[in-house]
Amino acid sequence: MNMEPTAPRKPSKRLSRRRFLRRTGISAAALNFTMNLPSLALAADATPRQRLIIVFSPNGVIPDHFWPKGDEEKLEFKRILKPLEPFADQTLTIKGLCNQIQGDGDGHMRGMGCLLTGIELFPGDIQGGSDTPAGWSMGISIDQFLKNQLQADPSTRTRFGSLEFGVMVPDRADTWTRMSYAGANQPVAPIDDPYKMFDKLYGQAKNRELLASVLDDLTDDFKKIESMVSMEDRHLLQQHVELVRKVEKDLKIELEASTKSVGHAVPELTPNVEVQNDNMPEITRMQMELLVSSMAADFARVATFQITNSVGQPRMRWLDIDEGHHGLSHEPDSNEDAYEKLIRINTWYCEQIAHLAKRLQDTPEPGGSGSMLDNTTIIWTNELGKGNSHTRNDIPFVCVGGGLGLRTGRAKDYGKVSHNRFLMTIAEQMGFAQKSFGNPDFCGDGPLTGLV
Amino acid sequence: MRRIPNLVRASTFLCSGIFAGMGMSFRIGAAASFALLAVMAQPVSAAESSSLDSVIAEDPVLSAGLKIYAEQCLQCHGEKGSGTEDYYPDPLVGDGSIGELTEIIVDTMPEEDPDLCVGEDAAAVAAYIHHAFYSEAAQIRNRPPRQSLQRLTGTQFRQSLSDLYAHFAGLQETTWESHQSKHGLSVSIYSGKGRKKEDRKIERIDPVVDFDFGKEGPGEGVPWDEFRAHWDGGLRIEQTGRYEIVVHSKTSFTMDFGHDSNQLIDNHVQSEGRNEFRRTLMLTGGRVYPLEIDFNQRKRKGETPPASISLSWVPPGGIETIIPPSALVPGWNPPALQLSTTMPPDDSSYGFERGISVDTAWDSAVTDGAIEFANAMRDRLWNDYVRKHRKDKRSREEKLKDFLSDFVTVAHRGNAEVVQPERIVDPAIEAFEDETDIIKSVVLMTLKSPRFLYPSLDADRTVSQQVANRLALVLHDSLPSEGWLQDRIKKDQMRDEQSIRRAAERMLDDARTRVKLKQMLHHWMELGPEDDLRKDDEKYPGFSEELIADLRTSLDRFLDETVWSETSDFRQLLAADWAFTNQRLADFYGDAWKPAKSDDDNADEPNESGEWTQSVRDPNIHVGVLTHPLVMARLSYHSATSPIHRGVFLIRHVMGRTLRPPNEAFSPLSPDLHPDLTTRERVALQTSPESCQICHSRINPLGFALEHFDAVGRFREKDMNKKVDASGSYLTRDDKRIEFDGARGLAEVAIANPDTHRAFVTRMFQYFVKQPVASYGAHRLDELTESFRQSDFNIKKLLVDIAVIAASDALPDSEPKKKQPKNNQTAGA
Repeated sequence: MNMEPTAPRKPSKRLSRRRFLRRTGISAAALNFTMNLPSLALAADATPRQRLIIVFSPNGVIPDHFWPKGDEEKLEFKRILKPLEPFADQTLTIKGLCNQIQGDGDGHMRGMGCLLTGIELFPGDIQGGSDTPAGWSMGISIDQFLKNQLQADPSTRTRFGSLEFGVMVPDRADTWTRMSYAGANQPVAPIDDPYKMFDKLYGQAKNRELLASVLDDLTDDFKKIESMVSMEDRHLLQQHVELVRKVEKDLKIELEASTKSVGHAVPELTPNVEVQNDNMPEITRMQMELLVSSMAADFARVATFQITNSVGQPRMRWLDIDEGHHGLSHEPDSNEDAYEKLIRINTWYCEQIAHLAKRLQDTPEPGGSGSMLDNTTIIWTNELGKGNSHTRNDIPFVCVGGGLGLRTGRAKDYGKVSHNRFLMTIAEQMGFAQKSFGNPDFCGDGPLTGLV
Repeated sequence: MRRIPNLVRASTFLCSGIFAGMGMSFRIGAAASFALLAVMAQPVSAAESSSLDSVIAEDPVLSAGLKIYAEQCLQCHGEKGSGTEDYYPDPLVGDGSIGELTEIIVDTMPEEDPDLCVGEDAAAVAAYIHHAFYSEAAQIRNRPPRQSLQRLTGTQFRQSLSDLYAHFAGLQETTWESHQSKHGLSVSIYSGKGRKKEDRKIERIDPVVDFDFGKEGPGEGVPWDEFRAHWDGGLRIEQTGRYEIVVHSKTSFTMDFGHDSNQLIDNHVQSEGRNEFRRTLMLTGGRVYPLEIDFNQRKRKGETPPASISLSWVPPGGIETIIPPSALVPGWNPPALQLSTTMPPDDSSYGFERGISVDTAWDSAVTDGAIEFANAMRDRLWNDYVRKHRKDKRSREEKLKDFLSDFVTVAHRGNAEVVQPERIVDPAIEAFEDETDIIKSVVLMTLKSPRFLYPSLDADRTVSQQVANRLALVLHDSLPSEGWLQDRIKKDQMRDEQSIRRAAERMLDDARTRVKLKQMLHHWMELGPEDDLRKDDEKYPGFSEELIADLRTSLDRFLDETVWSETSDFRQLLAADWAFTNQRLADFYGDAWKPAKSDDDNADEPNESGEWTQSVRDPNIHVGVLTHPLVMARLSYHSATSPIHRGVFLIRHVMGRTLRPPNEAFSPLSPDLHPDLTTRERVALQTSPESCQICHSRINPLGFALEHFDAVGRFREKDMNKKVDASGSYLTRDDKRIEFDGARGLAEVAIANPDTHRAFVTRMFQYFVKQPVASYGAHRLDELTESFRQSDFNIKKLLVDIAVIAASDALPDSEPKKKQPKNNQTAGA
């Protein structure tokens, strides 16, 4: 792993412009082109930023080892949530939230497609393991709804509004692989290739850097070719050479200017990591690094982070587990081996949440006080409550951080309420209270009480 | 640009408003065939200059003219008519006859006392002016045109990238024969859920994709509620521009486009209410883009809706229609580059694009194009390369190095020894670890290099390479990348005119050439997809967007058919007595637009709308492109014809004569002011002043000949209830006025007149080569025009001749080389 912003690259033998630029920190400098906002703008930000990151992991959990023993006042973590212990004060677990959306689609499909939308799936032609076939969700998801609200206001508008990260999401669009929706029948695809995400975030800056690196050598090409040009035609070539010099100079000035004001560095990704099962831990870290850096740069204040998909089948060989996750999740509780493996799998997911929380905690809030975690809430969720029963009751909702202003350091249990109400709470806490979210039939009692 | 007759500029006012003010602005200078001479010229040597002086001195008339010029004209018009800043800055150049010049001088010169220079004096000074600097011959003599250095135009940049891509991905054959015979998409239909061989029940070619399978299903042995269909083929693009691809389907499907790893539409999940899919793409003319549709009717628990799908497009300037069979190519097609970057417009003041300047907008577009190309290389070509070579023993880095070296070598138009790709590839591999960075860096360096951007700077390449570079540039607006051509370059097999001609003939029959030629013809007729051809709805009901789209197809088919047929007869372009028609056109334009009956036609069976056939013959209604409704409508106002637009088009573009642009804006007289005048009478009235007549006596009599065709190009016998007067005339270069009647009479004069032939040859040469024809030898135009005539005006042969002339320029003993040792030919670095 080579994720630190300052990590050196393979040394170059010649002292080229490339080297020069690296020394002057061009990567960091180039960032500002894409941010397109001077860092000074941060100072003008009177109200603190509020951020939301929704992390998904699939196939339900092992409830007995997941839900804390604690109560309104205290958290006592069991095995799966143990990695969150350092963040106990900033953690809130919410039990008793149930995805009660009925209609077309099997449990996994509705678990996924209705999780963030709170509304039914359209009839369609995709047949799940049971029930009737279904299509896409009938409504917008909470992350996209919040994005639209934030983007509508110039004071909260950001470059992307929202970012959709993925880790090992299969290369097919269907109801099991999409949880984010821009509207009815409009699923949003997560980007699960860190290089593609890097391209989206920093590609333009990177291209500028590469351009700067070749301009020097171009001048040589012009020199060599000049002798082939008649006197009458030389002016065009000269004009061209001057143009190249001008672009080079402009680029240099831009880069130097932004070096002075740059707020943070672009993460450097380990090169040539293939998107495949065994690289999942590394890809997860790379994606999280990009997530943290993009939020630090205020590219977006809302993000989803989808690890695999509903019915996801990662094989966690790094935990010495060779079977696929979804397969294991169907095993009865009496299968001790599977049961134990599922606990370890979910613990691994929790470690990732803890790592993300740590990265946010370690990053000072840009232009503000405290850490980024103080202004960010991570919501870790799942399409099912428990794998082998396929229940969509007691869906895991674990909140870490201070973005939504929830009262943390406790375990909350609502018994059995519709999860739409929590979606309404999220909207309300982000400043966009709604009379309902998703299907109004499940919103009658309004946002959850007692969370703040 | 200077137009004829310049002499009268100071004392006359003209009417540019007619051209610019009415929302039908003419593309400036599209016909300025000789303006090129003035710009791309080099000063004449002292020796040549003194020989001209002695000719004048020996001729009594010329020397008398010289004396008068010095006394009465020089003060304003300057030495050798070059102009003076204070009085008359423009040079005296043009294509009027001595007689015309004399007349103008008698009437208007010198400005302060037009009576001073009349009679023999006027004739003498006119003769002197004409001989010494005014005429075309004098211009060429005084400033022999030369080839100027040009960078790739936007079109050439796009086509070159497409062929660089094709160098790795392969290129679909696009001969005229295959263009005509291969239509539609291949389809395989399978019963059941999968695509197993034994379930394949139907294999056929569908002319179009437009199906509502209902409860009958797609054919025998295939259940309607559970089947797969797989369409496979290519989309034939004949014009670069923005296309919208539109699929309507109530069934699950996915569509790949351009490359099998590029999914354009993903409707794997069929969800109620989601049944229209639109994608906008920038596509390149002369290319076939592979496409595949995988269609999946899934049987559902409960009620299964019947399957349906249609594949449509909105081509540039067109309307949404089902993609016609002629735009589809069945079977497998190699991947093709889909480039979204658009280049800023190039200079086209001479009627064709030239890369004569560079600026930051152009530079950053080159960068964007290079980055986009690098991404396509990484995502598609490099992955394909790795897959293709997975069994050989080279390391991945070695493969990358070879892959990139090949790219640099082709892009820099040479062989590995002279190009030395390692000077670009090695440092990139050394500096970067990430493959994306390496590829991007190499591509940027390669495509931003003058080695790529200036195709004529190749003096250090082999002769065959230089020849191929020119052939590819002239015929395809591109660079040599195909295997057979690379092979001939490698063997240095193109060192004489014979072999050059053979290569040119082979390269001629190609969609890239057809695209360029059609673009030239569109320029010639001043037609473009952006034209707004809508007319007065009340006066011309039924002249709809659909009809206009049909007219475009009708004209394009006519152009293709005429040019690419065996005879390829230029005269047919101007004089064919038929057109391509369909039901809608026949309904609107009447009997002359009915389909010609062929022997096997069933007379009772009406033609389906959308089916294209040749019309019946009618020599008065169909007169080649001259009376094609699209051309007629373009050269008309909203609710009336414009004999002036038509006349200007004819004199400049068809006859190849120069007109100087008018300086003053005039609005056309409103028909309401003269409710009983015909259009002809109104135009004649407005342009009757003597000052107008200097040009309009040349313009109007040509334009009037098309008065039988109204603003939508429909034939009419009457205008304002008076019988249409379509009599016209043409004043030749040597002062002869030829009278004729109507469009047919006009066409007969045009196809017989040497002015027309010369004009077309000049236009073709300049459009394809982007250099003045005289820069390849002063006699070239005459020779080419003569061989054009000898070949019965065969356009294809003319184009081959042009390509051969341009490419032979690279041969060591070529004529301009001997004459212009310093021009572009100095041995290179």
